[in-house]
Amino acid sequence: MWSSNRSMSSSLGVERTKKKMNKDKIFKLAKGFRGRAKNCIRIARERVEKALQYSYRDRRNKKRDMRSLWIRRINAGTRLHGVNYGNFMHGLLKENIQLNRKVLSELSMHEPYTFKSLVDISRNAFPGNKNVVVPPRKVAF
Amino acid sequence: MKMVTAFNGNMKKAAAGLRRINLDGLRWRVFDAKGQILGRLASQIATVVQGKDKPTYTPNRDDGDMCIVLNAKDVCVTGRKLTDKIYYWHTGYVGHLKQRNLKDQMAKDPTEVIRKAVLRMLPKNKLRDDRDRKLRIFPGSEHPFGDRPLEPYEMPPRSVREMRPRARRAMVRAQKKAEQQQQNADGKKGKNEEAQEESA
Repeated sequence: MWSSNRSMSSSLGVERTKKKMNKDKIFKLAKGFRGRAKNCIRIARERVEKALQYSYRDRRNKKRDMRSLWIRRINAGTRLHGVNYGNFMHGLLKENIQLNRKVLSELSMHEPYTFKSLVDISRNAFPGNKNVVVPPRKVAF
Repeated sequence: MKMVTAFNGNMKKAAAGLRRINLDGLRWRVFDAKGQILGRLASQIATVVQGKDKPTYTPNRDDGDMCIVLNAKDVCVTGRKLTDKIYYWHTGYVGHLKQRNLKDQMAKDPTEVIRKAVLRMLPKNKLRDDRDRKLRIFPGSEHPFGDRPLEPYEMPPRSVREMRPRARRAMVRAQKKAEQQQQNADGKKGKNEEAQEESA
């Protein structure tokens, strides 16, 4: 059935080019895949489909992952000063500082003194309910 | 003064793989396990070894500090875990599920207890082996890294919950028993002294 289609398409010329373009597109997208997935059309087609599905899903996941990474960095940065992330954000909320987590994580990484002042502002606004975090004795700057 | 002579046998193991860890911008943190609870200590070590206490944490790069744990044989557990906590492992052959409890493991190799605890708390990914290489555990309080810039790690203060009534009563009873035994011993000693005085 498939062979007959092929012979027909080779004589017609229209379907042949359509299939060929599809194949080329797939192999172009399959560059760098492992094993036969970059060479053999049957396997490559499956993997490319999967890859496109993953990339669709991960374009949405990336936003979540980046935010969680920012939160982890801010948490680490504030714990160096004896405040944990939750109390810190609550303090900022009270002071109506609307810096987002991306900027805060950048500050905690590259601008330590600015970040320390932010932590102090937050601590004044919201001293925290319990003694959650003990700051390390030596603050490495 | 280097303490190399203290463990000539373990020097290879202690300094093993140090070359593989590049980036010596890392700190050397020292944990003292004496009197610490096993799991709570292990979770602190795991956060430090992952590098999660640094604001430059990146998940695809291993940036944790070198952790040295001392006095591994003095780590404590609560409850009946000394006899009841069992480590299982399967050798791969059918029916060969082996086990060993905490007491035997401490007798055999006390560093393995902490190492297992920390390793099982790390995320199971490709960086786990590298992080394992950053962990150095010593049963005693001596280590060959005396010439590095070491930083002691302060454990966060722990709120110990108060004893359950039954445990408290048992403890009180044990205390009273100990006091009675002491009194008996004193009484006997007193009698012995009197007997000696009488004889002499």
